[in-house]
Amino acid sequence: MLNYIWGGLIISSLVFALVYDTRDLMRDTYRNGAEVTLEVDLEGDSTGRRQPARVHMPQERYQALYNVDNAPGTTFDGTLVRTRDGMQLRFAQDAALPEPWKTIRDMTSPRDNDLRGTVTRLDMHTDSTATAVIRFADVKFVKMTAIAQAAIDMAETAVTLALGLIGVIALWMGLLKIAEAAGLIHAVVRFTQPVLGPLFPEIPKGHPALGMIVLNLTANMLGLGNAATPLGIKAMEELQTLNPDPDTATNSMVMLLAMNTASVQLVPPVILVALMGLQINQLIFAIIIVTMISLIVAITAAKLLSRMKRYRIPPTGAGAAMTGPEG
Amino acid sequence: MEFLRSFIETASVFVLPLLIVGFPLYGLLKRVPVYEEFVDGAKDGFRVAVTIIPYLVAILFAIGMFRASGAMEFVVEGLRPLLSLVGIPPEVLPMMVIRPLTGSGSAAIVLDMIQQFGEDSILVKMAATMFGSTETTFYVIAVYFGAVNVRKTRHAVPAGLLADVVAMIAAVYVVRLLFG
Repeated sequence: MLNYIWGGLIISSLVFALVYDTRDLMRDTYRNGAEVTLEVDLEGDSTGRRQPARVHMPQERYQALYNVDNAPGTTFDGTLVRTRDGMQLRFAQDAALPEPWKTIRDMTSPRDNDLRGTVTRLDMHTDSTATAVIRFADVKFVKMTAIAQAAIDMAETAVTLALGLIGVIALWMGLLKIAEAAGLIHAVVRFTQPVLGPLFPEIPKGHPALGMIVLNLTANMLGLGNAATPLGIKAMEELQTLNPDPDTATNSMVMLLAMNTASVQLVPPVILVALMGLQINQLIFAIIIVTMISLIVAITAAKLLSRMKRYRIPPTGAGAAMTGPEG
Repeated sequence: MEFLRSFIETASVFVLPLLIVGFPLYGLLKRVPVYEEFVDGAKDGFRVAVTIIPYLVAILFAIGMFRASGAMEFVVEGLRPLLSLVGIPPEVLPMMVIRPLTGSGSAAIVLDMIQQFGEDSILVKMAATMFGSTETTFYVIAVYFGAVNVRKTRHAVPAGLLADVVAMIAAVYVVRLLFG
């Protein structure tokens, strides 16, 4: 299943990028090469290289030019830059721009994040007011560029995320080693065997794996995401010691995964609390009900799907090479 | 109800320090060489984190590309008529699609919806309940299976996603029942 989903994500992103970029080309979304007429209020000294400018783009003119419904803010801050090659109008960095200007900026000036137009004509009405005709750089294949950039960015993010886990994983692995040596895990196992044992039939009675699972699920219930992940990893490691085929997930592993993704949430995750503030108090009850429902579904699904032909553990040895695509 | 809630909240604050102090304390009482055992166990931290990297890269870059391609809008548009048929408001659709893929992305959606509809809106309550009730399934799968180098995940993805879908739909109805 993961093979198909993964491949599907990559291939469909290429297809969608192609479709959207072709549509942009056909509609000429960015009006490449078009002359854009703006009203400009120039401030200060006109002999300098850089002159502050306030740019007005009448709403109707913008909508007519780009054939959009949204309207730009009435005025933008900018700078008129005079160089030997001519004049350039630069919008202020990180200015709030309407589409498609925002995309034109993101594509043509990714580093400075200021929209730049080459001034082809500047008609001065008075000393400080003028009508400027500018032209933006051509924008093509926005989505194509975006998917390539996203792939690179996310690969970096993945490493940052993984390395960021080192400390907290080390902390919990250390603490768990103490707990194991002191016999604490075994006590937890004895205590919870009657309840959780039937869900994980492959785990022998008294095996520490069950203790790790209990700690992991408890941390999850209490919204302790930071602790839950290392505890879950430790539980997976314990389950892996019972796995006859280290490359393939066991039923217990899938059960643990399913219970994790659907775990009953007594305390909502920290991010949600930060986002919702006090409003979250109203939702705690709703979240508990919903997670209870999804936990039941997860357990049932893990149990039932494990019996389906395509998800059965392939026989080890010679037969293994013959099995079809795995999930 | 109020008492139970404050009890749970207080417990969640205390449980972490209690575990961090409790394990070594219990170890000392049992005459375990706690420092040596801790360091011995903690050695694994680096190895585990590095083992996860290829799995995390694989999952995250594919999701990143998918989001950047604009495919998400298409999926949302495509599902809209189907879901309005079962009474799910189209405004919460982006949340349903993004939640299993990225945690930060779905947090951004909650924030966006708060600004758009206001904190009190039932739509925000639905989206927030969805966020709180489900996990970033693909991330969890990458990390957990990655840590033990299991590549054949069998029915983990369908089981996890099924639970997510049910939770999303349940969130809509439960919130409507409680606040609607």
